Amino acid sequence: MEISADRDGGAVIARANGRIDSSNSREFHSSLEAVIDEDDSAVVLDFEDVSYISSAGMRVILLTAKGLQSSGMKFALCSMNDSIREVFKISGFDKIIQIHGSQSDALAAVSA
Amino acid sequence: MLFLTTNTNGERVRSSYDELPELVAAVEALGERDGWSGELTFRVSLVIDELAQNVVDYSHEGRPGDVEVEVTSLQEDVVIEIIDDGIPFDPLTEAPEPDLTSSIEDRPIGGLGVHFTKTLMDDVEYCRESGKNRLKIVARK
Repeated sequence: MEISADRDGGAVIARANGRIDSSNSREFHSSLEAVIDEDDSAVVLDFEDVSYISSAGMRVILLTAKGLQSSGMKFALCSMNDSIREVFKISGFDKIIQIHGSQSDALAAVSA
Repeated sequence: MLFLTTNTNGERVRSSYDELPELVAAVEALGERDGWSGELTFRVSLVIDELAQNVVDYSHEGRPGDVEVEVTSLQEDVVIEIIDDGIPFDPLTEAPEPDLTSSIEDRPIGGLGVHFTKTLMDDVEYCRESGKNRLKIVARK
């Protein structure tokens, strides 16, 4: 899975796309790790172009959140479709990971 | 091997798949053909993805085995049956409850698939019958 990356201030904005499931979750994990630099102060993962996520993808999100937290980097997710937002809610992940409606809101939150 | 039997308006079609994503793509195509909402298609394909993957990962203890998924699209419901001939296992009572409240550091990885099913579906039943695990799941349209 290709993840595109832009930078805004100290934050990297990573954009995933398509489906994130058991067939590509390892690739998703390695692609996400590859776009994050040690020097970044925050990571915004943009779900605008993601249509689906299963628990295999959620596992990668949680592992990433744990890793970033231990490195002292901020982490926020944004622009999810309603079904993906629901999956984050019923997983209880929305209580431990910031989720914003738009990329600009997510950037503002991690830059604060 | 994964098998998908679809039953729409009395027409039964059985297909086989090597990979889970192929099976899920076929379920999505069925939803599109049958006019399911995007939200319903998401729920149905997620639950099949999670539960069939659990069977593939655990039920046959490393041996190749079959998983049959049957989807019946009714007027008001979608009925999903997942059938395998692996070791007896009722995920509704035997799968560990997920931890939904710990902090990031303490949150365990995994255990969400069965939780998604219980939360997103309207009715779920398990039985062991003729040496097979059978899960019957109902989603209201």
